[in-house]
Order: sequence, then structure tokens, then C-alpha cells
Amino acid sequence: MTGFLIQQLVNALTIGAIYALIALGYTMVYGVLRLINFAHSEMFMVGGHVAFFLLAATASLAGGPIGVLVMFAVFVATFVAVGLLGVGIEAAAYRPLRHASRLAPMLSALGVAIILQNVVMLFVSRRPLPFPPFLPAVSFKVFGAVVTLNQIFIVAFAVALMLALAWFVNTTTLGVKIRAVSENPQTAQLLGININMPISLIFFIGPGLGALAGTLYASYYGIVVFSMGFIVGLKAFIAAILGGIGSIPGAMLGGFMLGLLETFGAGLLPMLTHGLIGSEYRDVFAFSVLVLVLIFRPAGFLGEAVTEEGMVYKRDF
Amino acid sequence: MAIVAAVVAALFHFVPGLPTYYVRVIDTVLIYLLLAIGLNMVVGYAGLLDLGFVAFYAIGAYSYAILASGQFGIHLPFGLILIIGGALAGVAGVLLGIPVLRLRGDYLAIVTLGFGEIVRLLMNNLVWMTNGPQGISRIDQPFLFGFALKTPRDFFLLLLPLVLVALMLAWRLECSILGLGWAAIREDQDAARGIGINTTLVKLLAFGLSATLGGFAGVIFAGFQRFVDPVSFGFWESLTIVLIIVIGGVGNLVGVVVGAAVLIIVPELLREYSEYRMLLYGCALVVMILVRPGGIVGRRYNPAWIIQKLGWR
Amino acid sequence: MTLRFEGLTKRFGSLVAIDAVDLTFEPGKITSIIGPNGAGKSTLINMCAGSYKVTDGRILLDGVELQRLKKHQIAGHGVARTYQNIRLFDGMTVQQNLEVCLFSSYFGRTFAEVFVPGMSRRLKSERAALCRDALARFGLARFADALAADLSYGNQKLLEIARATMLEPKVLMLDEPAAGLNHGETDCLKETLRSLVPADRVVIIVEHDMSLVMTLSDHIFVLHQGRLLFEGTPAQVQANLAVQEAYLGSPGDVDDIRDAARSRANRVRLRADADIERRGLASV
Repeated sequence: MTGFLIQQLVNALTIGAIYALIALGYTMVYGVLRLINFAHSEMFMVGGHVAFFLLAATASLAGGPIGVLVMFAVFVATFVAVGLLGVGIEAAAYRPLRHASRLAPMLSALGVAIILQNVVMLFVSRRPLPFPPFLPAVSFKVFGAVVTLNQIFIVAFAVALMLALAWFVNTTTLGVKIRAVSENPQTAQLLGININMPISLIFFIGPGLGALAGTLYASYYGIVVFSMGFIVGLKAFIAAILGGIGSIPGAMLGGFMLGLLETFGAGLLPMLTHGLIGSEYRDVFAFSVLVLVLIFRPAGFLGEAVTEEGMVYKRDF
Repeated sequence: MAIVAAVVAALFHFVPGLPTYYVRVIDTVLIYLLLAIGLNMVVGYAGLLDLGFVAFYAIGAYSYAILASGQFGIHLPFGLILIIGGALAGVAGVLLGIPVLRLRGDYLAIVTLGFGEIVRLLMNNLVWMTNGPQGISRIDQPFLFGFALKTPRDFFLLLLPLVLVALMLAWRLECSILGLGWAAIREDQDAARGIGINTTLVKLLAFGLSATLGGFAGVIFAGFQRFVDPVSFGFWESLTIVLIIVIGGVGNLVGVVVGAAVLIIVPELLREYSEYRMLLYGCALVVMILVRPGGIVGRRYNPAWIIQKLGWR
Repeated sequence: MTLRFEGLTKRFGSLVAIDAVDLTFEPGKITSIIGPNGAGKSTLINMCAGSYKVTDGRILLDGVELQRLKKHQIAGHGVARTYQNIRLFDGMTVQQNLEVCLFSSYFGRTFAEVFVPGMSRRLKSERAALCRDALARFGLARFADALAADLSYGNQKLLEIARATMLEPKVLMLDEPAAGLNHGETDCLKETLRSLVPADRVVIIVEHDMSLVMTLSDHIFVLHQGRLLFEGTPAQVQANLAVQEAYLGSPGDVDDIRDAARSRANRVRLRADADIERRGLASV
């Protein structure tokens, strides 16, 4: 029994770490632009593909398995490439709509997501591509559970990235500016901060992190496919809401929480209901969490409760 | 008035004579038009973005599939299921609306998207009821007032009057005090409350009515295809219907008609490029939002404008 | 018929915006609420209209407690208000802005309006007639089919007031009705407001424009830091030293304050006029 629980815990933390990385992108963008960036899930997918091709290229150049340094170089390159893509998308598809109705940027984001997904499907590959693992398939036995090196790496790397981001937004001037803009763009502007640059930076870091999450996810499951962004992205968004949309620590917390909820919920449901509700309901579970959170506590755990009095009235359409 | 009657009569006369393939396409346009008229009440009139409309379509379709096939050996008549399916979908719409309508626009969009997905997943997994991913096939042939609805021509003769009635009712709703209430909510929900409009009730009405129309369309679709499976009821369907409205003309029935025609017929014309359909939809959406957010047909060119041009009133 | 605030309190977190205020409003009179910025004037209106939740206390209209009701229910009891920053339905025409106020009375007949032939025309012309009366009363008849957004600032303010009076409210609350209006428009407003006070209506005005307040009011409440500082007739208020200290400054400063308030309003008006010119519309 302990082994089972620890196994679930390890699985939960692994997927939770990935959700957390993606959720950061959603939360930062929502915090500053009140925009649900549908295209973010496709950053995740594109990141996986970019890494795939970089790895394939470097592997063929090296003529064999690649070293640790090269692997990190691929990470950096993926981060930068997708980050630039994010900046470009913001400039082309969101910035012109900043003063339009509230839902226009969201619809634009939806359109961008469709475009990205279909471009990859049509011009890269319709079928899943096999993603090589980063690390040798080493595993450890911990109290009856099997923990792979890959899982440890994913969690450790994700946590390291999150700590780096936390350090950045709390310590450096640029990072603090980003945090200010993310929490209250109007006031930030009044204080003389030009919000365009921090916004572009948010659209560089967020998608970049999402791309790395995509890379980690791809190495964990062994494949990349054009459709991998939709469900995972949606769940990461749920995680961001759970933790409190607009709050960076909230996104991290929410990611891990959703991982735990999902894994334990879906893992235990068959046991508790004697097989009546199977683990295929994992996705239904996640969506139900979303609906419940938004109805009862839209601010999530760490977000600010938005009261009627605080709302700014803008036309929806 | 005479012009309109002449056009309608011409449609009734000529279309059934066209090759079956064309009639099929027109039937598809009409079904999507029915769906879009429904969703337009929520998105266009009340100003609420519902990204999970396909759920009501699915409820309608599966109602017919379950109640008129070998699945449970029940074989209810088409007309009865039309009412049942519509009612079920309508109730689902209201039940969904109650907790969800207090949310702000973007949250509402996500939650409705989630709801659409939940319904699809349930259809996929409640195998004992819906036969899961395999879907339900060999659905009964629909009979209406003794007439068998077999060929696309038969369905055209059913769909065209239905769509015309739906258009007329939607237009009269838009012009009624309820339509004005919806417009007020769309403009400024809080000010609307301030003048005494019970916004929750009015929004629920929009949700319920649109869901009922979605259910009707679903029942007809199931009778048309005689096969349903969860694949036809995914997020992309919801998105297509939203696109019809957004690209055609938000809140404008003329725009909705144009949008349905464009979004269904153009891909049919470009059949060799059918793979690129979604990509084109995506590009069209982004371009539209950036350049002409009201849609192809401006708000000015609504049915009132057409009525005026025809010298009817 | 009276409107009473009993022990009304509003807290925003640890900030006490309104502190146990007791006010009574008489019908058939214009009651003004004045006070420096931050005194809580708009908060009172927002609480009465249902925009803000009441932290403590009661709002009683003819003995009916309003503070627990939802916003549209409060409106249903006959409470109407205008907004400091105009909130019209911009995309709708002037006539539609008025027509939509008839929602509560006509909603029950929607089914008939849609399904019964001929009913739609009859109901619509009924509503149109009511709207035309209101438009005529406020001098906006010729703008009936213009979009509300296209009106001049002064006319928009009038439209807001027209909309608020559409349903013959028992309580009419005007939040800074003179803000941004020039001399001519303010005089016009004064006339209009004088006609809005039937015997069974409570009219409350929150204002900074002292000339308007002193000329029109029958009774004035002076608010300061969330509490009632003083109440009385315009003459009493002007003479009272405490009020002057808190708000009007020393007796000699009253004119300065008046001028300052007027110039602030003029700056807003100039901006509005420039905006109208830019859009190529004639002002009234």
C-alpha cells in the first residue's frame, strides 16, 4: 500500500511540475493583460517539436548519444526560440487589440492556437514523432515504488527553473517591474513604467518555460505530436486558476496541486467505487475541479478575491 | 413581401432538383445555420461567449440515437424525440447556466469549454448508454406525419421551413423587449441591473433557448446521419459554430446566414485542400478579429435593413 | 413616504468609508449631500442602489429594508440613479436607452410579443409613445434615433437623468449631475431638476458645484470622513463654522472654492467639447 501511494506521489509530482511550468506562462499573461492565452498550450507543443529537431540535428552531428552540455544547450535554444515566437505573437495578434473589447484578444489567441496546431500538423508531421530520452533508463526502488531518473530530473529541473523565476521577479529591477506590471498594469503605467517591454518579456519567459515543459513532457512520454498541447494546456490553465490566476507562486502551487488531485483522484476513484468510475475519468475530474473552483472560489488559493466593487467595467464584445 | 415569398418558393422548387451532393451540402449548411441561430442568442444578443455549445447538439443527437435504435430497443417516433431532445438540451442549458452565468466573460468561456469537453468525455465513457467510442449506428429512419425522411431532399424539405421559422422567431425575439434586455446586458450588465433587469434570469433564458435550438439540430442531425459517435461533438464543432457567428457577423441574423454559407460551402468548393480547413478557419478568425471584429456583415445590415430595402414596412 | 439610513456603515477591509450614518430624506424636496472628496458621498449612493454591500446598518424605504436585496430588486422598489461617469448603453439609440427601462413591466408579455401576430406592433408603439413623452420633457426628441454614444456630453447627462426618471422612481439619486457642464448647461440642468420633484419622490443630489447645491437644495447633509458633520438649509450650512473649516475653508474662501469647483468642471467640459469636435459632431 505504501508503495502504491509513493508511486502515485512520484507520478503526481512529475506531472505537477510540468503543469506548474506551463501554468506560469498563463498566469503571468493573465495578470498583465487579463487575457487567457489559448496559444500558450501550443507553445508547449511547439517547444517539444523544436527540441525534437534540435536533438535530432545534434545527435546526427555528434554521431552518437549527446553529452550533458549539449543537452542544456538544446534547452536554452528551445527556450529562446519559442520565447521569440511568443514575443512575435504578442506584437502581431494581441498588442493591436489591447484597447478593444475584453474578449477580442482571447478570440485572437484562439485563432493563433488553431494556426499553430495546424501548421505543425500539416507541415511538420501528422503522426507522433519519437522523442529520445535525455537520461539513461535508470530507476530506483523507494519503499516499494519505482522512481526513474527521468522523473527526478523533471521535478528537480522544473523546481530549479521556478526558483530562478522567483529570484528574478523578486530581486532584479527588471523582474520587479514585471511583477508590478503583472499585478497592476494601470498603476505601473502611472508610475512611469513603460509597460511594453515588461509585457514582451513576459511573453518571452512564459512561452519559453512552456516550451521547456513541452520538452520535459516529450522526454517523459517518449513522443511529440501536434495535438499534445490542447489537453495538457487546458489542465495547466486549470492549475493556474486553482492556485490563483495572476499569482506566480499560485501557478507553482496550483500545478503541483492539480498533479496531486488528478493522480490521486483518478488513481483512487476505481478503488473507492469498485471500478464503477475508471481512471479514464481523469480528464473529467480535472474539468470538474475547474468548474467547482470558478464557481466557489474564483480567486483560487493565492489569488486576490475580486469583489464587485473592484471590477473595471469593459465591454465583453 | 412578394419578393421574399418568391425567393422561398424558388428555393423549394429548384433545390430538390439539384444533384444529391449539392442538396447534402445545403442540408449541412441549414443544420449549422440552426445551430448558429441558437448560439447567436447567447453570443450575439446577450454577449456571452459560450465555447461548449456542442454539448447541447450532442445531447439532442444522442437522445435520438438512444431512443430510436437498437441500443435499448426503444423506438420512439421522430417528432416526439424532437421535443424530448430539445427539452433535455434546454434543461441542460439552464442547469449549466445557473452556476456559471455569474462568471466574468473570459472565465465563462473557459468553463463552457470545459463543460463541452465533459459532455464529450461522458459520451465516450458511459459505454452502457452511448456505446462509447464506437457510437450508435443503424439508428431508425425518421418518419414525420407519415412521410419517411430518407434522402437529402426529404431533409431539405424539413430543414428549410424549420430554419425559416427559427430565423423569424429569432428576429422577433431580437426586436422584443427581451431582445432589448439582452442588448442592455451586453452593453453594461451592471447598469442593466440598475434599471431593474434581472440579469441572471435573462441570461438563463438566452442559455436555455439557445440550448433547445441546439438540441433540435442534434436530433435532426442524428436522423440525417443515422449514426452518432463522440468524435463529431468535440471542441472543434463548438468552435466552428462560434466562427460562423464571429466571422459572419456577431448578433446579426443576416451575418449568421452569410457566415454559415461561407464557412460550410467554401471548404466544400476547396475539397482538394480539405486538410487546410482548420488552418484557414484559424487565419480567418485572427484576421477578422484584428481587422473587422464585427464580422463580414456589419451590424447595420441586419434584417431590419433588409426589410426596409424590400419596402415591406 | 420616507427614505431612511439607519446606522449605515461601510468598511473596505480596514478602511471605514461610512461610519454609522443616520439620515432621513423627505419626499418632495431636493436633498443634497456635499463634502470633500473621500467623504463617502458616492459610497452612500452606491449602497442605497445596491452596488456596494452594506457592512452594517439598514436602509429603509417606506419601512421596506433594502440593504439585503439584489440590485435589480432595489430598482424594482423604485430606486433610480445616475452615474458620476456616464453609463449609458452606448451602442443603443437614445430611444432604446429609454425603452429598455420598461423591461420589468413588459417582460411578462414577451411570449405574446413574439408569437402573437400584431401584438409586437401594438406593444412597440405603446413603448415608443412613453419614450417620446420622456424625450420631449427633456428636450431630446430630435435625437431619438441617434446612438447614445454620439450625443454631446451635456445631452448624455440629460439622457441619463431621463432614463432614471423613466419608471417614475420613488427615490432618484443623481451622482454629480453638473460635472463637466458649462454655465448654460448647468442653468438648463437646474430648471430640469426643479421639475423632477413631485410630492412623492425623494431626490438626492451628490454635488461639488456649490452654486447648484445652494440654489436648488431644500436640505443639505454635509459629510466628512464618513460621518455626518452638519445638516440644514443652504443658509445654515453656509453660515456654520465647522462646515466651513472642513470643507469650504474660511468665509472669504467660499468664492475661491466655488471658482475652483467651476474651473475643474470647465476643464472636463473643454475636454469633452474637444472630443466632440474631433468626432465632427455639433454640440447643443
